[in-house]
Amino acid sequence: MWKTTLRRFLIMIPQIILLSILVFMMAKALPGDALSGLLDPSVDPSMIEAQREKLGLNNPWYVQYWDWITKAIQGDFGQSFRFKMPVTDLIGQRITNTIWLSLVTLIFTYLIAIPLGIISGRYNDTWGDRLITGYTYLGFAAPLFIFSLLMLWVFGFHLQAFPTEGSVTPGLVPGTLEYSFSKIYHILLPALSMALITTVSTVQYLRSEIIDTKQRDFILTARAKGASESRIYTHHILRNSLLPIAAFFGYEITGLIGGTVFVEYIFSYPGMGQLFLNSIMLRDFSVVTALVLLYGIASILGSLISDIILSIVDPRIRIK
Amino acid sequence: MRRRLGFKMLLPLMLAFMIGLSGCTSSKGNDAAQPDPTNTQNQTEGEKRQTEDGLFSIKDFSNIKTNEGEAIEGGTITYGLVSDTPFEGVLNYNFYSGNPDFRVLQWFDEALLTWDQNYVYTNDGAATYEISDDGRTFTFTIRDNVNWQDGQPVTAEDWEFAHEVIGHKDYDGPRYGSDFTNIEGMVEYHEGKADKISGIKVLSEKKLQITYLQSTPSLLTGSIWTYPLAKHIFGDMEVGNMLSSPEVREKPIGFGPFKVESIIPGESVVFTKNSDYWRGEPHLDKVVLKVINPTTIVQQLKSGGVDLVDSFPIEQFPDNANMSNVEYLGIIDRAYTYIGFKLGKWDEANKVVVPDPNAKMADVNLRRAMWYAVDNDQVGKRFYHGLRWNATTLIPPSHPEFHDASNPGIPYDVEKANQILDEAGYKKNGEFRTNPDGSELVINFISMTGGDIAEPLARYYVQSWNAIGLNVQLDMVEFNTFYDRVGSNGKDDPKVDVYQGAWSVGIDVDPTGLYGRDALFNFPRYASEENDRLLAEGVSEKAFDVATRQAIYKEWQQFMIEEIPVFPTLYRSQIVPVNKRILNYAIGDGTGVYLHQLAVTQEKPVVAE
Repeated sequence: MWKTTLRRFLIMIPQIILLSILVFMMAKALPGDALSGLLDPSVDPSMIEAQREKLGLNNPWYVQYWDWITKAIQGDFGQSFRFKMPVTDLIGQRITNTIWLSLVTLIFTYLIAIPLGIISGRYNDTWGDRLITGYTYLGFAAPLFIFSLLMLWVFGFHLQAFPTEGSVTPGLVPGTLEYSFSKIYHILLPALSMALITTVSTVQYLRSEIIDTKQRDFILTARAKGASESRIYTHHILRNSLLPIAAFFGYEITGLIGGTVFVEYIFSYPGMGQLFLNSIMLRDFSVVTALVLLYGIASILGSLISDIILSIVDPRIRIK
Repeated sequence: MRRRLGFKMLLPLMLAFMIGLSGCTSSKGNDAAQPDPTNTQNQTEGEKRQTEDGLFSIKDFSNIKTNEGEAIEGGTITYGLVSDTPFEGVLNYNFYSGNPDFRVLQWFDEALLTWDQNYVYTNDGAATYEISDDGRTFTFTIRDNVNWQDGQPVTAEDWEFAHEVIGHKDYDGPRYGSDFTNIEGMVEYHEGKADKISGIKVLSEKKLQITYLQSTPSLLTGSIWTYPLAKHIFGDMEVGNMLSSPEVREKPIGFGPFKVESIIPGESVVFTKNSDYWRGEPHLDKVVLKVINPTTIVQQLKSGGVDLVDSFPIEQFPDNANMSNVEYLGIIDRAYTYIGFKLGKWDEANKVVVPDPNAKMADVNLRRAMWYAVDNDQVGKRFYHGLRWNATTLIPPSHPEFHDASNPGIPYDVEKANQILDEAGYKKNGEFRTNPDGSELVINFISMTGGDIAEPLARYYVQSWNAIGLNVQLDMVEFNTFYDRVGSNGKDDPKVDVYQGAWSVGIDVDPTGLYGRDALFNFPRYASEENDRLLAEGVSEKAFDVATRQAIYKEWQQFMIEEIPVFPTLYRSQIVPVNKRILNYAIGDGTGVYLHQLAVTQEKPVVAE
């Protein structure tokens, strides 16, 4: 068990190094740089050139990469060209928002997925099941950003039940109860929008898992022994079906990363995803590379967690 | 040409797109002095502006909100900063660079000098000025009741200090440029050869004298640095640390009508009134500024989520022209779209434009025919519902003093275009024309992507040119690539012959930054002695006389129509909705309406029916 984890951990290191090189080279391959949007005749072009030189933008990519990675290891991702502040501070401002959003989404995802999955698995081919599978197909088909816009329009603007932008009501003092409530209130709608879409795969998975388990021999045995139907479900079927779901927890995190980028943009929610999109548009490379690296590491970690959980619950897949 | 804030602004506009770079929107009327709007007229509320064929005209928009109803005591309004990028949070005029930050700044800080609708400094602001006979020395007097929001007076020393910080070698903001090097002793100070700037003298607590090297009319239209920096706060700080200090980012200070109460970085700001404001106590108690996404702006306005916005995406206007709870204000934008022709190269060593007489587009007849061939009037109507319209000269009507309205430019005339090409010897060989020497003529045209209109518009131009027998090949490229290829680095792509770009122009009319011989942003790489002469005369001492300067620029506008290094295609307008409960609000310059007068008629915003 520990061996597997350690081995899995060691594989991660070259993965991250490779990722960082890829990230860096792709960022450099984008046309233009942070200074190319600065077309202002009052700024002497030689000053711009000097600044390029100062920022090291004229060096060959491997020199730039080395400069960047050696600092990055020490936690220094350089200065954001646009915000004129250290990238680490900038991300620090945003990361808590994104973490909260992801956490709430995750909770919603499971809150929706587990009951729906159980109902539709237990009573498969009934109307309830058809309704639920219908919803999951809809969820698979609907693009997240369109769905979020719809939710924003209906609940945010039409019914005015939720705030439509930002992470907190302006003017509240941090630390007060009101402030925390306002924060949660602002997270609910984006989190729900995202959860309703991302949950569908978990629902489907749980459903087929339950249907699968229902026909296993040990269930037949349990039934033959005279166990009650509810006991069979709670003790035998559910337990076995939920384990793989738990194992997918890590991948779920990876999926959320992609989702938050859109949702934050639509709900003007100042998290990392929004920062990421802006930075790409404005060629704020130091921020882009740091964020992609962070996202990459998060997904590598996510799959690591999944692998570990899987190997705990299912000894068959441990690496020999 | 330069922006009101002293630094010359010529950012490229991305066509109908919403990236933060189109941060060249016009200024608010809070700094102006003349009571009547210039280029617009008042219109009674609720009247339909649309003509039968679905067109609008900027002439039908007022830039001042109609006042209807009684103001209530106090009140709180919400101001929407329309941007899909949050503001950077550099909240000091001496350091900021992005337009969103400017939108935050205008509520709590202001310039010491105000200007009129022609962007000329007046004596109605927080300070007054006098000019010496030789036009080089300015004496400024700050009014006695102008105080920082912490109670300290705004002094001449603060003003001098701003210059010292910007001129300092460690200064890392974007302001140090030709406006500053024109101050006597500034270069020596910047290079560390002097401790003080010899041209700046503090005469008394409230009196400052600045001597400039060259006297030009541009000094009066934005070249003076009019934003003091509080020395009692920043005095002991290292210049290099100021930009990132909490005094700039978290607890900013100014002497404007409102003061900052709280900031949530990139997201919202709450302002409360500054009772000690020098023009008088503001009407409103509170202003809440929040960043709103362009995709949701209409809903925000309808639901009363915001009362005011800094800008409004023009493509959303036709569908929402009849929104019942807002009044639309409009002004002519200080910008134009244009077609440019590559006529030479950039000499990086000498930093000058080198025209190439053998360039593909070097024949002025070819360029003129291409102008005749396009119907920009229809482009404005079909693509922009009349909210952009046919441009005639390179000085837009946003500068009514200098825009030559009597000059018709070159109107659409296909027959004329064909005739010019026939006479110049471009003979048809099959579908397309050849060069006069019989060689094949293929013209490469690049245009920017972004927005729904960009591509059909570019295709329209290509079709128009095909129709007069020119083989034009279109390449749509993304913003950064576009300016790379056009030559923003000085490395022009030789494959580009024609391009479609846009400029946002500053408040000073001087176009040297765009068409001068040593201007990198002279993308057509055009230069001629006559052009040099006119541009130099436009900022010479004799141009202090407005009539003379007008005559010079009138001549220049006509000269550009004869030479056609570029031709303007469209002028633009800006439309901004304002909730009906708002009183005393205006956009544009020289309105005489100030932010401290802003008031509301009811507690809650009016909601759309």
